[in-house]
Order: sequence, then structure tokens, then C-alpha cells
Amino acid sequence: MQRRPLLVLAALLAFSGRSLAADKTLTIGAAVFPDSLRSGTSSYASLSLLEQTNDPLVARDNKGDLHPALATSWELVNPTTMRFHLRQGVKFSDGADFTAADVVFTIDHAMDPKSAYAFVSRIGLVEAATAIDPYTVDIKTKTVFPTLLRGLSDIIIEPKHHYEKVGADAVAGHPIGTGPFIFQEWVPGDHYTLTANKTYWGGAPKFDKLVIRTIPDGATRVASLIAGESQIIEEVPIDLIEQVNQSDSAKVDEVSTTVGLVLTFDPTIKPFDNPKIREAFDYAINKPLILQQILKGQGEVLQGQVLTKGVLGWNPDLQARPYDPQKAKKMLQDAGYDFNTPVPITTQNGKYVSDTDICNAVAGMLNQIGVKATVNIVEGGVFQQMSNAQKLGALYMIGWYSVGDADFASVWYTKAGYRTKWQDPEYEKLFVAARSTNDLAEREKDYHRMMDILFEQNPSLFLFGLPSLYGVSKDITGFGAAADKLLRLTQVDMK
Amino acid sequence: MIGYILRRLAFLPLTLMIVALATFIVLRLTGNPVDIFLDINRTPEQVAALTQRLHLDQPLPIQFLIFLRDLLHGDFGESLQFSGSAVAVVWQRVGATLQLAGAGLGLGLVVGVLGGIACAVRQDRAADVLISSIAVVGQSMPSFWLGILLIEFFALQLHWLPTSGYGDLRHLVLPAVTLAAILLPNFVLITRTAIIELMGEQFVVTGRSKGLSRARVLVTHILPNAVNPVLSFLGIQIGSLMAGSIITETIYAWPGVGRLLINSISHRDVPVVEASVFFIATMIALANLMVDVLQMLIDPRVHRA
Repeated sequence: MQRRPLLVLAALLAFSGRSLAADKTLTIGAAVFPDSLRSGTSSYASLSLLEQTNDPLVARDNKGDLHPALATSWELVNPTTMRFHLRQGVKFSDGADFTAADVVFTIDHAMDPKSAYAFVSRIGLVEAATAIDPYTVDIKTKTVFPTLLRGLSDIIIEPKHHYEKVGADAVAGHPIGTGPFIFQEWVPGDHYTLTANKTYWGGAPKFDKLVIRTIPDGATRVASLIAGESQIIEEVPIDLIEQVNQSDSAKVDEVSTTVGLVLTFDPTIKPFDNPKIREAFDYAINKPLILQQILKGQGEVLQGQVLTKGVLGWNPDLQARPYDPQKAKKMLQDAGYDFNTPVPITTQNGKYVSDTDICNAVAGMLNQIGVKATVNIVEGGVFQQMSNAQKLGALYMIGWYSVGDADFASVWYTKAGYRTKWQDPEYEKLFVAARSTNDLAEREKDYHRMMDILFEQNPSLFLFGLPSLYGVSKDITGFGAAADKLLRLTQVDMK
Repeated sequence: MIGYILRRLAFLPLTLMIVALATFIVLRLTGNPVDIFLDINRTPEQVAALTQRLHLDQPLPIQFLIFLRDLLHGDFGESLQFSGSAVAVVWQRVGATLQLAGAGLGLGLVVGVLGGIACAVRQDRAADVLISSIAVVGQSMPSFWLGILLIEFFALQLHWLPTSGYGDLRHLVLPAVTLAAILLPNFVLITRTAIIELMGEQFVVTGRSKGLSRARVLVTHILPNAVNPVLSFLGIQIGSLMAGSIITETIYAWPGVGRLLINSISHRDVPVVEASVFFIATMIALANLMVDVLQMLIDPRVHRA
């Protein structure tokens, strides 16, 4: 009996050597892990998992450009009808053929209010999808809908026959798709295991098994990467970038997301109805310094607009206002600003990279010119509540993502977006105009002017385009950091 | 004795009812769950459907009655974010939490009590000073920091243990140690104090003077009498244990109820939050009952008092 503890110890040590399996397994440490494999939930984390088993008609790449996926080509039949030609010979992982019926089913399923399909807003102007023949689908829209293709890149195509056989709940428990990987095991709150689809139409993955593990704590995630337990991790904490890069086993891969982090004014609170005062605040913030010190140089300073560099509609002629505290102070004095006005900056903690730190820095810089700024940190749910009531206070932090098209981010400065109380008639008109044409040059011109208006009027202080930081083992090739945070793994190979 | 247990059990529903009511009210005080759960792109239809599903269109007292009615059927409703009922979702995580809490508690208790005994026996000598100091330092050490240090040392430097995750025994070691570290210092200090106090008692002096060895006195006279204070402390600590497991589960990516709870709170997955809190409250209440019964078995005076 006395020997037993030793035996246990010996057994523990015996297991500690890494088990050598013939199969190549890629393990990923995920920062945000969805709670189910149900399609259509609003988070990109769940889309990231679902896109391992299911393909959209049109797929984005890591930069955000669109490419044919289950649709090989498409054309406008008339201004409100897009015809898609589907990839032939594609099979679902249960052996059934992928056809137009699945596309029609998916669109109907997404549009059915009972499905509570959050991403349906991406294709909100779709009226109906009809199968012309087994490999041709027409998607009719209510009006001209220039963002249809980009919207469809968020909608994964699901198997009609599977839904009809087992029902939506069972589908969420065991998704079947045409994607690069095949469902093997799902353990909520722990991990998702998939096997490679050897007959994937886009080329079989170069490894056999994929395990996506949830590791919510940033430091633990980095430890698992350095220890070699995972080969790719999401969301390396900014302050641990050095640690990853200095380890022998991994490095950080960074890409700019399309998330623009801004501090929005409530212009119904005086004196922030005065655009001059809002502009003065902009001069008071040393954005390059915050980017360097707090974001460690990752990401970008927004150039006087909500859009991040390179997004359709981004205005290259605009430049962020320089840091000039004297000018800021003078402008405030000239505008008759009362320096005793309390200016609470409302923010969440941990919603965006370094959000609280950035707000603290901004408040400090405003304090330096005599503005009574303070930081008011609220819990996510409370923030949401305040946001819905439109009572977030004088200044609040929020991030708007565009996923590559100005339409998705600029909507939040319109009346219909309900997310800012600032309004401008010309901006409204341009927004509608840009949404009502398929002419790319025309749309770009409208967005450029809209960005001009935002720059002149300063409904928000435009701060930073946020980075997406992945930790990648040196044994991995072919992985790229994705602007939209979706995992794309078909090209990944491991030593 | 049986009567006492039955009486205590009869009060259990009342305790749990109060917990359920508190959870119910707090969840609704911190904002409309529908507003918080649904994404910014929500449609009015989605809002209406969810409002109806959570019975938020009813007046508050009616809502609570509906909640109570469902509760009596063991039904907390369907989870908003997971597929399946809230009870099933929580049940899936219970095993992991019990495993962690059990290991943490066991480790903390055994090592803590042994440490306390060692301190008391070697009172004011080097061993006592050392162990007591470690206990005091340990008490003030935040567990997330300890967790990261343990990972750094045992997983990254020594490669003995995995950094995180749920699986075989090796995965349990670091989380259990981290959780035990929350309880351990207190157990050391409580045990130490209890024994030192008893050492001055007459029966101990008598034992020694009739020629019993120190060890014999310790085992037969002192320890049985020191059990009760340690047990009552254990009862109090079950709450901290559950609170500690939330942090520990997050650090080590342990798929337990604590992490589920935190996650569900931030999404305002009302049914899952209510079910998780109810589960944790039941655990604490039952553990306390067990402690009380044990105390009674050991020292019948507790019952009479």
C-alpha cells in the first residue's frame, strides 16, 4: 500500500511525454468560443467554427477580398436579381450532392424569423431565392443591393436534406457541410474536434485532425502555444507579444482588422452640440503616442474617419488631426467652453483591445488642457442597456467593423442606425444613394464625401483601427492572420 | 438526529427559494435581458419573440410566479445561447466542477491540516514560523497570479504538466493546487490555533503527566477535539471554494459551471444563469448540512446546544 503514491507519480510522469501519433493534429487555442454550433448566431467566433465544416457561396480571404466558393460565378440578370452558378460535383460530408435546393433552403431558413438568424441583416434586402436548375440560383432583392455578395460571405450553405431529416437542434449538435473539415466531436465549453475532408473541392487540408480548444485567459493561451500544446492561438494579449516573439517556438502574426475604435459624442448634451468643441477635443489627443505606448504599435491610427485603411469607401485624402494641445485649448476658450463641465468617458473593460487603458490615456490628455474628463467603466450588459436607451453620456467608446465595405460601418451614423444622435441630412442622402447603386465608382465617391462630413463634423473622435494578433508556432506554414478573425486553415501545413 | 436532518432539509427549499428570488431580481435589475442578449442588428420580430419566451411582457410578480412554477418542475427554460434546456447545459458542466472542487478541497484540507499540526507541534520554532509565514503570504496571493506562476513553472519550464484544459489526471493537478491554495492557508492557521489552545487544557496536561507520549496525546486527545473548529470553518469556506473555482476554471480553461456562469451572465442567458446559481446554492447548502451533521456525530453537544 505504501508504494501506491509512487506508482501514481510514475504513471503521471509516464503520461507526460508527448504522445506520438501518426496523425497530424493541428490544435488551435481560441479566445472566444461559441456556445453552440447553431448557425446564424451573431458572433464571428461561431462563424469561424462553422466555416470549417460549411462553405458560403462567396468566400472572403484573410484580407477581406471576395472569391468564388460554392458559387463559381455570378452575374446581374437585372438590377435587383443576381444569378449564381453553383459548383458542380460537390458533396456534403454524408455523401449527398450539393445543389441549388440547399442554397434556396439556406436563404429561406436565414430569412425565417423563427430561426432567429442574426446574420440575416447581412442580406436584409433579399426578397427570395429561386432555383432555376440544380446548379443555378437567382437571388432577388427588394431594391438594388450592392452589398449582397459581401453579405452572402457571412451565410454558410447548409444541407436541406439533413435539416429535414433531423431538425435544427440536431443539426447544431452535428453539422454536416461541404467544407474542408468534417465534424467529429463537440464538447461545449471545452473543445471542437474535426477531421480533414480528404475530398474537399478546394483541396484537402494538409493535416488529418483539427482541434479547436477554448482557452479564455490570454496568459494561459500564450503558455499553451509556447509549451507546444497548441500551434496557433487567437488574440495574443498586447503585453505578451514580446514573450511570444522571444520564445524559440512561436511568433506573433498581426493583421489590421476592419474595426474602427472611436469615442462618440452625444451632441444633445451641451456643449457637445458645438462641432468646434468636438474638433478641439480631437486636437487634444496624441493618437500616435497611445498607439505606440498602449497598443505597442499594433493596428493603425484612423485617418479622421471611421473606416480602416483599404476598406471600400476609405477616403485616402483625409488625415488624422495632429496632436496640438495649445490649439485645442485655444479653440475651447474661443468657443466659450466651460472647463468645469464634467466629461465622463463611458467604456467597457476588455471588449476591445486595451479599451480601458486607451480611455484612461485620453482622459489624461484631456485633463492636461483643463477638461474635466473621467473614465466610467461599465459592465457589458449595462453598456448595451445604456446604448439602447441612447444614454451613454457625453463621450463613449465603441468599435464599428465594416468587414471591407463602408456600408456596414457608415450605417451607424445614420438616423436608421440608431447608434448616434448626431445627424446630417447630406450624410443621410449619400448613404441611401451609395446603397442604391451597383456602380462601384459611384459608391466610392459617395462614401468619400460621407467620410469628409464625418471629419468636418466630428460626431466621434476617430482613434484606432484595431489589430488582430495571432500566435503561430514556428512549425506551422501557410497560416495567415485574418482581418475578420475567421480561421482559414486549408493551406496550413505543419512540420 | 434523523429529526434534525429532516428539519434542516425542510428548510432547504426556503433557502433555495430566497436564492432563486435574489437571482431573479438581480438579473432583471441589471437591464432588460432581451436588449443585452440580442445583437445590435436585431429585428423587432426577434425582440418580440424573445420577450415572450422569457415572459418579460408580463408584470414582474407574474413573471416570478411563472418562474416558480417552472422551477417546481425542475425547468429553468431553454438556454438562449446553447442548444438545449438550461438544466441540461449546466448538468454537462457539473462533473468538471465537482471534480475540481473535490480535488481542491481535499488537497487544501489534508495539506492544510497537516501543516497546521506541524506548526502547532513545533510552535514558535523554525518550522512553525516558516509554514505560518507561507500561509500568510499564500492568503494574500491572488489566485490568478498564482495560477500563471504555476503554469510558467510546471508547464513551461519543467514540462511536467499541461498548461490547461480538461482531460486526464495531469490536467487536474495545477487547477486543484490553485484552488487548494485559496483554502489551504486558512486551514493551516485554524488548525494551528485550535491545537495550540487545546494544548493548554487540563486533560492534555493530565495525559502527559500520566506518561503518554506527546504523539499519543496529540492523536488520541487533541486531534479529536480540534476537528470541530476545522469543520465549522470548512462549512464557511464552501462558498469561497465555489467563488475560487470560477477564477480557476477561467485560468485553466476548465469546462465547469463557474465559467459557464460568468459567460452566461455577460450574455444575460437568463435561464442558464438561474440554473447555475441554483446549482451552486444547492451545493453550498448541502455541503453545509453535511458539515453540521458531521459535527453532530463527532460532538453530540452541538446538537443539544
